[in-house]
Amino acid sequence: MSSDKNNSVEQSGASDDSIQQVHDKLQHTKPEKAVGYSAFPLVLLGVMCTLVFFGSIYLVHYSAHFDATIYNERQKPRSGAAEIITVTPAQLGKKVYAQICVACHQATGQGIPGVFPPLAGSEWAVGSEERIILIVLHGVNGKITVSGKDYDNAMASLGSSLKDDQIANVLTYVRQEWGNNAPAVSPETVAKIRAETASRTSPWTAAELLRIGK
Amino acid sequence: MARDRAEQQEIDASAKWPVLVFFGSALLWLIIGGALQLAASIQLHTPAFLADCEWFTHGRIAPAAQNALVYGWGMNAGFAFALWLMARLSAAALRSAGWLMVAAVFWNLGVFLGLAGILGGYSTSYELLEMPSFASLLLLGSYLMIGVWAVTTFSVRNTEKVYASQWYILGAAFWFPWLFLVARLMLSTSPVNGVVQSIVNVWYVNGLLNLWFVPLALAAAYYFLPKILGKPIYDYYVAVIGFWWFAICSACSAGSRLIGGPVPAWVATLGSAASMLVIAAVVIIGVNLLGTLCGNFAKAQKSTTLRFIILSIVGFMLAAALNFALSVRSFAEMAQFTFIPELRDWLLLYACFSTAMFGAAYFFLPRVTGKVWRAPVLISTHYAATALGVLALTVGLVVAGWKQGHLLNLSDVNFATITNEITPWLTYRSVALMLLSIGHLAFLINFVWIACPCCSPCTTAATIKNPPEMEAHQA
Amino acid sequence: MKNGLLIFSGAFATLALSWAGVVLTANNQLGSLTQYKDPVDDALYPAPLTGLANQGRLVYQDLGCVSCHTQQVRRAGFGSDIERKWGKHQSVARDYIQEMTVLIGSSRFGPDLRNVGSRIPDADYFYKLLYNPQTKFAGAPLAHGMPAYPFLFETRPVGSVQSSHKAIKTTADGKEIVPTARAQALVAYLLSLKDSYEYPEAKPFVATEKKEGGH
Repeated sequence: MSSDKNNSVEQSGASDDSIQQVHDKLQHTKPEKAVGYSAFPLVLLGVMCTLVFFGSIYLVHYSAHFDATIYNERQKPRSGAAEIITVTPAQLGKKVYAQICVACHQATGQGIPGVFPPLAGSEWAVGSEERIILIVLHGVNGKITVSGKDYDNAMASLGSSLKDDQIANVLTYVRQEWGNNAPAVSPETVAKIRAETASRTSPWTAAELLRIGK
Repeated sequence: MARDRAEQQEIDASAKWPVLVFFGSALLWLIIGGALQLAASIQLHTPAFLADCEWFTHGRIAPAAQNALVYGWGMNAGFAFALWLMARLSAAALRSAGWLMVAAVFWNLGVFLGLAGILGGYSTSYELLEMPSFASLLLLGSYLMIGVWAVTTFSVRNTEKVYASQWYILGAAFWFPWLFLVARLMLSTSPVNGVVQSIVNVWYVNGLLNLWFVPLALAAAYYFLPKILGKPIYDYYVAVIGFWWFAICSACSAGSRLIGGPVPAWVATLGSAASMLVIAAVVIIGVNLLGTLCGNFAKAQKSTTLRFIILSIVGFMLAAALNFALSVRSFAEMAQFTFIPELRDWLLLYACFSTAMFGAAYFFLPRVTGKVWRAPVLISTHYAATALGVLALTVGLVVAGWKQGHLLNLSDVNFATITNEITPWLTYRSVALMLLSIGHLAFLINFVWIACPCCSPCTTAATIKNPPEMEAHQA
Repeated sequence: MKNGLLIFSGAFATLALSWAGVVLTANNQLGSLTQYKDPVDDALYPAPLTGLANQGRLVYQDLGCVSCHTQQVRRAGFGSDIERKWGKHQSVARDYIQEMTVLIGSSRFGPDLRNVGSRIPDADYFYKLLYNPQTKFAGAPLAHGMPAYPFLFETRPVGSVQSSHKAIKTTADGKEIVPTARAQALVAYLLSLKDSYEYPEAKPFVATEKKEGGH
């Protein structure tokens, strides 16, 4: 081959036909070595096996069983049923409270002095559940004494805008928040009381309520 | 042997116009894309450059440059090389070259419209699929014409044996349209939901680089080494294993581009495992190619084509090493969003593929045109610029990326500091890109002289000697 | 390998295997992800982008912001995303189900933008940033390497009575610089980028067993 530095065209070292012929023969036979045998095939086999081995271990170890919800490769997939996220009635009640009750009774449950009675530490809240269910269903008007203070206001009836379980949840929330500690209210109780007082249309007064319930 | 020679001349003559049209347009896009890429690079360290003009804002120029280089330069050069080589190895002349030239026109029209769409603000924002739909329809249509031609040339072949280069070209010819069509369908026509889009996108980019560009570069290496050295490929019997292993493993390694991303862990793990397995194929290909070079290095250094092919092999190895590193989660944690993945893609596209195409062109252009290169000094300039540029860019981007990644992971370092730290390296990168462009211009000048009918003197048959028959045993 | 058909079948199988294994499986798992209903407040997350913010997403796409900014928060312990306050929890697939074009990006030349709306809930900041990132704020430019987008604003003479409430600044010669509709849309989009809900799958995993070796 002449040097390419001054020659401006590349020379071929072999014809295309011979390249194909020679290589076709080579494809099917390993080259003969003068002495011994070539270690390459064994080395190559070794390399391939090692890579497949480690690759598979890596794949199995870090793929979290191909789980669609696992983003951290070190996390093991959960076995068994999926975790059930439980929501307590008090949490649901808090949502209702935040939408409806907070305007008057405030987020702290303290109400506004002289205007809206508090619920925190209120004997009404932790007392008879029948009374407070009636208050929420039909509203309450006029003078009422809560925690030793007098209030004279009107609370709207919520029986038509809230369902039984919502009323039960919000009352449960009120009875277990801000240091209050009273048993929860069940939706069945609310339903029963709603049915019993279905004919009541006007709000209650404090005097009427004190006569009902224990 | 005279019959052999005439056949070869006939093949080369039949391929002349398609090859010249494809390669000429490839070079044109290389210059244009190179200029856009340089502008984008300059904007990173000098943000005010061209910032006033909406068409050249960084977010539009950067993808435009990538698309020009991939679809304009890369695909066109690939077509020129693949058509010529397939004709040669099938010992069948390229028939109906007119259709190929029509396809070339539509392909280039598609690229032009696509780039205009990106610069005009119609980008789809999917990496390497930014061209709007009308352009990609044109591209797909033209490709089908060209791909069909490569395959039919193969099917009417006059040779019994099928050589390694032909496997790679056939594979690439088949893989690209499917990758492109499926990706476009799943992203633009009937978009998949949520992050599956990102998965499709990385599957496409990975496929394009590993199943189109790398196979063509390897086809060139497998052909030119024995062709010019006159010696068979070392340990050729493992080449077929290397081909299939490389194809299967690199096709599945897309997920490693999404390490840490909003995809389930298995996606990235699968990609990383596949990237690990690819090493075996890289070893096989390395043994084949480097083994052939071993002992013949001096001879190879004298040949322009083989000097470029050696660069291509080096680029391939570097890219494979970087790809493996990036598939390791702890390295990816640092290097992920820096210049290092960009470097890995650039190494595949430029250092592996483009250098192989340059080498191939220095071989086939004189043969298809029947002329000689007019200015050997420009050839040396091209080679020197390419080798230096590849070295400079590799080193520069590794250092810049390392610094950037290290600082990104320190939560108390703000972005101004990071930008200040890497700006000198970005300037250095622009300089390296300019160096590469000088090489391209040198090549362009030589190309114009050799392609232009009135310029170079014709060669006589004696200048290109009859090649000897290859000996079967290895030295 | 003599047979063209053999090569063709092998090549087809290779691509089909990779498509089925990577893309199809992922699509089966994630393609039909639905919104998550919070058990306490019954709201559906994530909420879709609406109105101006949705148009802003198109501006984000057309200007190619994805080439320098990512929109994915990596988990705590992997990189410093959470420490940099780029998000409170890692981004998961469900965060992106309402997006027409998912723009998670792959390059952080600029900061991650997934939660930029909650980090900087200030439209004025974004307008100043887009107009000229080199504007000094507390002695340093707003954004060091970012290009300016002056074409998103128009300079016009001040109106008869007073300058528009949308003007980001008035120049010395009695003109005001007002964001165009595209700028307003883009800023609305940026302000909407808040992944505020932590899905069950995004909760961080705390390893209880001793740490294994490996990656």
